[in-house]
Amino acid sequence: MKKLIALLLALTMVFSLGAVAFADGEDITLDVIICQYGPNTEDWFLGSGMDGTNFVDKFEEANPGIKLNLEVVSWDTVDQVVDTRISSGQAPDILNNDNFSNYAYDELLEPVSQFCPDDLYEDFFPSFIAESVIDDTVWAVPDLASARALYYNVDMFEEMGIEPPTTWAELEDVCQTILDFYDGEVYPWGIDMTSDEGQAAFAYYTWGNGGGFTDDEGNWIVNCDENVEAIEFAISLVNNGYTNPNPATQTRYDLQDMFAAGDMAMLIAPNQLPTYCADKESTVNMATANIPANEGKESASVGVMDRVMAFKDESLSEEETAARDEAIGKFLKFFYDPENYVGWVSMEGFLPAVNSAVGALVEADPSFGAWLDVLDGCRFYPTAMENYDTVREGVVKAEQAALTGADVREELDAVQAQVAPEA
Amino acid sequence: MNKTLQNKIKPYIWLLPSIILMALFVIFPIMIVFRLAFSEVSKSGLMGGFVGLQNFKDAIGLPAFKTVMLNTLYWVISVVGLSTVLGFIIAMVLNQKFHGRKIARAILVFPWATSLVVQASVWNYIIKYEYGNLNNILLNLGIIKEAINWRSSYQIEFLWECGVGIFVTIPFVAFCVLSGLQSIDGTLYEAADIDGASYWDKLWRITVPLVKPSLTVSTVLNIIYVFNSFPIIYTMTRGAPANKTDTLVTYLYMLNFYDRQKGPATALSVIGFLVLCICAGVYMVGVMRKEEEL
Repeated sequence: MKKLIALLLALTMVFSLGAVAFADGEDITLDVIICQYGPNTEDWFLGSGMDGTNFVDKFEEANPGIKLNLEVVSWDTVDQVVDTRISSGQAPDILNNDNFSNYAYDELLEPVSQFCPDDLYEDFFPSFIAESVIDDTVWAVPDLASARALYYNVDMFEEMGIEPPTTWAELEDVCQTILDFYDGEVYPWGIDMTSDEGQAAFAYYTWGNGGGFTDDEGNWIVNCDENVEAIEFAISLVNNGYTNPNPATQTRYDLQDMFAAGDMAMLIAPNQLPTYCADKESTVNMATANIPANEGKESASVGVMDRVMAFKDESLSEEETAARDEAIGKFLKFFYDPENYVGWVSMEGFLPAVNSAVGALVEADPSFGAWLDVLDGCRFYPTAMENYDTVREGVVKAEQAALTGADVREELDAVQAQVAPEA
Repeated sequence: MNKTLQNKIKPYIWLLPSIILMALFVIFPIMIVFRLAFSEVSKSGLMGGFVGLQNFKDAIGLPAFKTVMLNTLYWVISVVGLSTVLGFIIAMVLNQKFHGRKIARAILVFPWATSLVVQASVWNYIIKYEYGNLNNILLNLGIIKEAINWRSSYQIEFLWECGVGIFVTIPFVAFCVLSGLQSIDGTLYEAADIDGASYWDKLWRITVPLVKPSLTVSTVLNIIYVFNSFPIIYTMTRGAPANKTDTLVTYLYMLNFYDRQKGPATALSVIGFLVLCICAGVYMVGVMRKEEEL
């Protein structure tokens, strides 16, 4: 009897394995990792946030033969999840993330030309595509973007009878005026030097002083004089009491909360700030202005872009790879279809990456038009460069060390030495 | 198969599932980490060729290495040391008979039973400068006139982290000691009373020696837990500013997944593993020797 049960169990196992293999033979299953942009992301992709249905169900219905194994992963852990999968040979087919260069340098990605349909490729903003090029090859496509600008509390500025600052000197004056007028009850200026956004702080001040991460030839210039002066200026704002007290641990969400509560007068924030404040039921009356720059220097708007990329699967035959690439192309076409994409972008208040979505978005919200103009002149982090991670972490550490009294030049010299030892 | 041989093999068969599980989930990952520590590792985590001790040299050469190791030392000594002392005192109190003792014991479990991330987040809110509960309470009671920045420097932030570490570790020590205290025969104290022993005599000559095995277990386990503790520091400061509040575990995580220096990060985890092995080994050998002497 025992032998019979054992035989039955073994046969069941064999048949069930066969059934999976048979199903695999017919359908293509794409492993997709999407980053969690906000509370609605998971609902939109997997729940019922897409007019009662979700992206996966809608896609599978429209594309028989293609199954999606889609996961929504938090930004905090996405690198950990993806790296672990790569180490164990289980890289996803499609990944949505901000950084692509490490995977491209490790030759793990497929070139975009291999899976992206031509008509869709033409639809992307060319300036966005240019940010994902390494060695003349495009390795990722943008999925959305956000632009940063100076936000200020209009009611406070009207009460004081002052205008938003355009230069660093004006910024200091305005901060002092706010400090005096509200008797220290309101933080004049928000600054975030945490590991989340410290690189953004570096960009705001150095780009506004003619410096930045790289020169025009694409060489690292982390420790140039303009950068040293810019970071020293940012630190002086903290030391003079113009900012939130703990920039090394207070994230942009802390600052946005303070701004929404009327406890902060100005901060540099992404274009989703009004959506964020509305979600917090804040009634703060806000307006935008250019990010202040040093006297005689141009104000630079900061753009942040996320991407979609496809990993190679070397276990597949040439024919299987072609079928998989076609499936990835269908996924992208479906995602960027204005019928789906406009809802996705506007849901979290982001800016689009394709021309075909602009009309519908501007129609729904006229303020999008102004932001698209800002986006057009934005500068982006040099994420396509090798060692960008090292520089990003390095400049954040340099800022944080400067907050504790360290010498800015020495700190930036150390970062530069790590990425360009010969300079 | 004769019965003697069967009896010899039987224990190993019963142990086999545990051995297989340990091999799969403990020994195998440790071996992979050791292999990575001696290999070139790309930023995406791909393992390259053998590089000898290069990753260890790079790790030790990192500017933050000394700060991080010292922080780890302060963190382990302060959290394990103070939680052991305070846990012992609380266990002594909870071993007395008083009204509400059961409730007090139940309450003591809360900090231990709650997730460390939740604990650290709650403490973040408590000591927040702008809308923190501590400032609100003190302001409402009129004890302070304006809000205090409880995180005004990284040294103070690190002290808060140690404080939270102690707070969540005390219950474990207290319950270990309490179990030890409850196993002490009451007649020993009665005999000591007859002999005219003072409170301190009884404490040092009866209580402490008999509770020592429980304390040994809690201390060794705490050294390992606290050394490897990640959530408190990661949630409260993420090692900021500039690794000044990092311990080895949070530092190597950031080094691995933010900085993407995966080789040195793996080497650091091996260093941490060896340090723990040595600490636990020395302590256990010492304790076992003393037990043999007794």
